[in-house]
Amino acid sequence: MKAVEIRELTVRAGSATLISGFSLDVDAGTWCTIVGPNGAGKTTLVETIVGLRRAAYGSVAVAGELVSEMGERDRALRVSFVPQHPIVPAGMSVHDYVALGRTAYHGLLRPPSAADRQSVADVLARLALDRFARRDVITLSGGERQRMVLARALAQGTRVMVLDEPITGLDLRHQMTTLELLQYEVRTSGLTVIATLHDLTLAGQFADRLVLIDQGRLLLDGPSGEVVRSRELEDCYQMSLRVINVDGADVVIPVRR
Amino acid sequence: MTIVAAATLVVLVAAVVCGLVIGPTPIDALRVVGDIFSHLGVGHSTLTPLQSTVIWTIRAPRMVLGLLAGSMLAVAGGTYQGVFRNPLADPYLLGVAAGAGLGATIAIVGVGSGVSTPDWTPLLAFGGATLAVLVTWVVGGRGLGSTTSTLILAGVAVAALLTSFQTFLLQQSSPDSIARVYIWLLGSLANASWGSVTLVLPYVAVCVVICVAAGRALDVMSVGEDESRTLGLPVRRVRLIVIAASSLGTAAIVSSVGLIGFVGIIVPHIVRLLVGTSYRRILPISVAFGAAFLVFADTIARTVLAPSELPLGVVTAAVGAPVFVIILSLRRRMVV
Repeated sequence: MKAVEIRELTVRAGSATLISGFSLDVDAGTWCTIVGPNGAGKTTLVETIVGLRRAAYGSVAVAGELVSEMGERDRALRVSFVPQHPIVPAGMSVHDYVALGRTAYHGLLRPPSAADRQSVADVLARLALDRFARRDVITLSGGERQRMVLARALAQGTRVMVLDEPITGLDLRHQMTTLELLQYEVRTSGLTVIATLHDLTLAGQFADRLVLIDQGRLLLDGPSGEVVRSRELEDCYQMSLRVINVDGADVVIPVRR
Repeated sequence: MTIVAAATLVVLVAAVVCGLVIGPTPIDALRVVGDIFSHLGVGHSTLTPLQSTVIWTIRAPRMVLGLLAGSMLAVAGGTYQGVFRNPLADPYLLGVAAGAGLGATIAIVGVGSGVSTPDWTPLLAFGGATLAVLVTWVVGGRGLGSTTSTLILAGVAVAALLTSFQTFLLQQSSPDSIARVYIWLLGSLANASWGSVTLVLPYVAVCVVICVAAGRALDVMSVGEDESRTLGLPVRRVRLIVIAASSLGTAAIVSSVGLIGFVGIIVPHIVRLLVGTSYRRILPISVAFGAAFLVFADTIARTVLAPSELPLGVVTAAVGAPVFVIILSLRRRMVV
């Protein structure tokens, strides 16, 4: 079963074409990472998948339904989003921030139901955020903050999660724990993850599949081992890359020409 | 939170009593309370007929109109600050004030001579205010992707245009009309009657309820428009409903009492300092606090220089600014 189907997608902003003729299918319960240089169109692509941008041409479907035909609430029940630069609303508690993920369930006029409160409590406990629950969101460190945003997305309880650069700015340990947490969700609850990442080594280690894009076009789509060793990857970054296998993990090293 | 809510209620009741009791005709507070109970069928009133008339046809409608104006302006300011995520937003942001000002000026100056009966002022002020917001919405909302900043800029442009018309009209008119327009612009509850109360009550009741109900949506919106959309919030629809309700209610109030400044911007901030950043708390408390604040301000306005009156806008700013600064500094000390 396809969790996400992208067909001939073209996205424009003014006269610039940001994504052009992009097609991609992502199977349910798999992890697909999108890589590519700055300005390749990764953010535009993920924003279109979650319905924040309109396609000029083509379509995006989540669980067989067109994203462009759904209202915000239906969309929020099917796909959650972790943006690259989440807005942190000073004065709000961590608990209330994570509870925002349940908005689509209880609506704008009713308070959260018992089930909503339970799932917020579960997510807070699972991500070890319960001891911060009463803290003001601005008091958290970068790593805790990212975990909190992830908790909000998990509280949304969707089958598909889309993440834009979820580990940028985190230290090594937080990068690893964030990605491991996501992988756990993919393996145990069948979550489908579409993420953009800059770190090719980590991208290769966690994704089932890598998709390389440049200038809004899909260049290569395949198992991570193949994509990190490809000619296309070197071409679009315009540099030489060495791949060394360390204990079964591909480590990608840039080499000066 | 419960302490603040209880305290606000006490302040509100105190404001109501002050509004009824304080004035040039001295009336004992306990007798007023006794009179209220006698109207409810409990006990006998000990007021003289004159005192009863002073209270029920002069002070009571003025006090009630003050409650309505204060609650509407405060809650409208709070919702504007939420929907624009901008602490400087106030109910006049999208051109309500400029539109009402132009409407009132047209009514008072009476272009084409002869239409300048006082009755035209509320009607034209209301029409001008709603029309100004509609134009702002169409210009700023249909244009460049409808972001809140384009809407704010459109409001600035519309306000500037309407104010220029108003200035032109004033410049062409007599010193007497200029004085009357100026007095109107400063805002006053002096012309309050039960008639004006029943005229604005339906608008204010509906709009206040909508604004308060929007609290949860505005809390979601605090993470920005894009993120709140991915959380399931229909941002455009919410923005339309909230702006329509706060603008319509503000237009109704302004058309009846003129441009009372400062309440809409300062009351929500005072309340925010007391109860935190959630609009589910800020908005209902602002309704009560704004109502009490304006009745107190009006009591000062009509007694300090009695028998002449201070402009209400002068008192709201003169009282509101120090209150705000005091609470700000107290809270800093509490946090540190």
